[in-house]
Amino acid sequence: MSKKTKPLYLLGTLLLLGFAGFSLSSFRQTLTPYVSYARARQGDRIVQVAGALEKGSSSYVAQQESLYFSLKDPKTQEILRVRYKGLKPANFEDAISIVAIGRYDEKAKNFEADKLLVKCPSKYQGAEVKTYS
Amino acid sequence: MSYLSHLYVPGALALWCALAFALTSLWGYSLVLRGDASALPFARRAYGFYVLSMVMVATIMAMLLVIRDFRIEYVYQYSGLDLPTHYQFASFWAGQKGSFLIWLIWGTLLGLLVRRGAGKSEAPVMGVYILTLLGLLFILVRENPFVMLAQTPRDGQGLNPLLQDNWMVIHPPIMFIGYASAAIPFAFAMASLWRRDYDNWAARAFPFALGGFLVLGTAILMGGYWAYKTLGWGGFWGWDPVENASLIPWIFGTVMIHGLHLERTRKRYRRANYVLATLTFLSVLYGTFLTRSGVLADFSVHSFVDLGISRWLIAWMAGFALLSAYLLATRLRQVPTEPNEDPFLSRGTFMVLATITLLACALVITAGTSAPILTRFMKSPGQVGPSFYNQVNLPIALLIALLLAFVPYLTWKGDVPRAVLRKLAGPAVFALALAVAAAIWKVRQPFHLLFLFLAALALATNLHKTVAKYRAGGLRGAGGYLAHVGVGVILLGVLASSAYDDSTKATLEMGKPRQVGDATLTFTRVVPRRGSEREGMEIQVARGGKSFTVTPRMFMNDRTRQLMVNPDIRSTPLADFYVSPIDFDPGQSTLQLAKGQSGQLGDIQVRFERFDLEADGNALAAMQAGKQVTIGADVVVTRNGKATPLKPLYRLSPGSGQVESVPVDLPGGGGLAVAGIDASNGAVQLALVGVQTPARLSVDVTHKPFIQLVWGGLYIVLLGGLTATVSRLRQARQVDRAGETA
Repeated sequence: MSKKTKPLYLLGTLLLLGFAGFSLSSFRQTLTPYVSYARARQGDRIVQVAGALEKGSSSYVAQQESLYFSLKDPKTQEILRVRYKGLKPANFEDAISIVAIGRYDEKAKNFEADKLLVKCPSKYQGAEVKTYS
Repeated sequence: MSYLSHLYVPGALALWCALAFALTSLWGYSLVLRGDASALPFARRAYGFYVLSMVMVATIMAMLLVIRDFRIEYVYQYSGLDLPTHYQFASFWAGQKGSFLIWLIWGTLLGLLVRRGAGKSEAPVMGVYILTLLGLLFILVRENPFVMLAQTPRDGQGLNPLLQDNWMVIHPPIMFIGYASAAIPFAFAMASLWRRDYDNWAARAFPFALGGFLVLGTAILMGGYWAYKTLGWGGFWGWDPVENASLIPWIFGTVMIHGLHLERTRKRYRRANYVLATLTFLSVLYGTFLTRSGVLADFSVHSFVDLGISRWLIAWMAGFALLSAYLLATRLRQVPTEPNEDPFLSRGTFMVLATITLLACALVITAGTSAPILTRFMKSPGQVGPSFYNQVNLPIALLIALLLAFVPYLTWKGDVPRAVLRKLAGPAVFALALAVAAAIWKVRQPFHLLFLFLAALALATNLHKTVAKYRAGGLRGAGGYLAHVGVGVILLGVLASSAYDDSTKATLEMGKPRQVGDATLTFTRVVPRRGSEREGMEIQVARGGKSFTVTPRMFMNDRTRQLMVNPDIRSTPLADFYVSPIDFDPGQSTLQLAKGQSGQLGDIQVRFERFDLEADGNALAAMQAGKQVTIGADVVVTRNGKATPLKPLYRLSPGSGQVESVPVDLPGGGGLAVAGIDASNGAVQLALVGVQTPARLSVDVTHKPFIQLVWGGLYIVLLGGLTATVSRLRQARQVDRAGETA
């Protein structure tokens, strides 16, 4: 390594370290962890929750272009009310499990989902998953 | 031998023969390596028989699918009587086992090319290569695709409707050629380390590396096109784990190509190339593990669930990771390299910087895709979405564009900054003009303008050089520059189509024009099914003085009752007008209302006040006496601003269970009747006669500017790659000839 190129190597290393740090912080920011309903209710970050659709709990409110429904935790039987700002996904009622990604709204008392993963019963691959955002 | 009785013997036999011949060939090559040169024809013949056995396996599988032999579990699971014949091919690779099978078949056939391309190092290269094939072969023998059911079902379960698509017939097999080809440079590299023969492997592996890059790139292009055109995902790339699993090896492969180029021309990267070939191969295995083992089942759109093969995949991956780690650790230091004496402003340095940048890109995508595994041991496992990939790849794309812009004007020996800048002046004017035009259009973000400027600069400098090279000596030396032109074009297209698209979700009432963005959409009719043409939703679009029709498809799969949608796209050179259906409501004529609730149906608003139990004698008394019960429903109907109270009646005979509904006339035509009573909720179901809500279609309307640049750019990259492959093939042959004469 010559004297002339040494600062360049240093600069490159710094840049790489900077990028690594940037990636790590971006990773932590965008990470959406799977959490319990109780944890989701803290509403401090974007998370994902999973559950079964409570039969008959869904209603579409055309004025708000929103879909309301309740998720039930298969283990604890807890209920979480979800609002999804979007149209009702196809096969929604047949879903065996729904994953909602979003944040809990303390004022409206429901989970505001930006994205839904709807898993339909399908013999093909165990479960067929479709994403809606 | 109960295991045997559950197998389709001809198929299983062919598979076992394949295993036996592969092992025999491996043994033959090991004899050659121990100095018995006469074993070479034996090893080759054994490989030939192995190829034949595998072709037999594939033929038997294809035949079983074509004759729809539902005794075979795989045929039963992925085929059906109603499946058109050409989709039987899609069935071949629709399932886990079949996709491993097609992968192995390509790998087997490619082995014939490897044998030829390996020249004097045939024995060690083929030895390692057969080892890579054995991993797949073992999985297939364990998870035998020829398992039979105890009874023969009358019909199969049919193919997933999502996969009944012409793209599904062509896209996966090409993808698997790409995957299979990643083992080739790896085999060359490992054989070279193992035999301590550090020269020539790079030149021999180069055309294979380029070929793999081309095939995998083509498959990725097709996958993106399929997702965009048919599946209606709205974009060409969703950063889904399955997509990433093919992108990561492609990026590693791209780095490897540049590494091999540096080795060929500058004798640099001689050690790094071993690592790159290993990374490319291992990333294919790792991606397969991620998407096939079920670890991502909760996170991906189209990940397979675990079928019990994860431990085999882990064993396969770990085996090669250990083998390559051992060889790299023990031999890499012995590989002679020359010290780096390239000045900073030189082509060599810039290429090294670009490869480091691309490596960083591949690594962050790997980390993002692995997020569910990385976070598994934390309290709550999670995943990262597209925003992560977009964020981290933005600086990478900027740097790549910057480096690409300089490379054509740099020489290996090093350059004077001033001379380079002078050459850059022309392209810079072009890029600046483009940036100004974009700013006038609607690009206002400084970061985006910088991105656009650099991408346009890279495009211009490389185009300049491509033309110059072409004039000087034909396309031969121009492949790399041409590919870089494509990269510039893709970057422009990605920026414009993903950062400046506008998407609106809207619900269209049949026959009623609705303004969506800058267009007026009218849902005109449902086009009925005609032969293999599925039901479509015809929408008239008026936009910018022009009118046209789009017909996105929306239909129910007869077998699974799954709603299928295909978007329709109106393409112009400058933009795509993309209409994807989301939901369809054929119109309804009933309302379910609780006490005090109102509902709207067409132009009528109905408010349910209460049940009238005294409409015709006391209903409760009648019920106790077992006589006919009459219940009235007090409703208020509002039409054209006029409220009218009405009372339709509902008669029930407890003895016979007979029900009679007495309708009332609606003001302004039509009628209203009670269709049912939900006593437990105190709700009434009202049916409207002659009044129906119009059919409603919900659509996602997206305007995607300059998306053609993404496809066009990819084509240019692949064309450049093809040009480079042809010239590298020539050079590899020269290496052979030089080897023979030496």
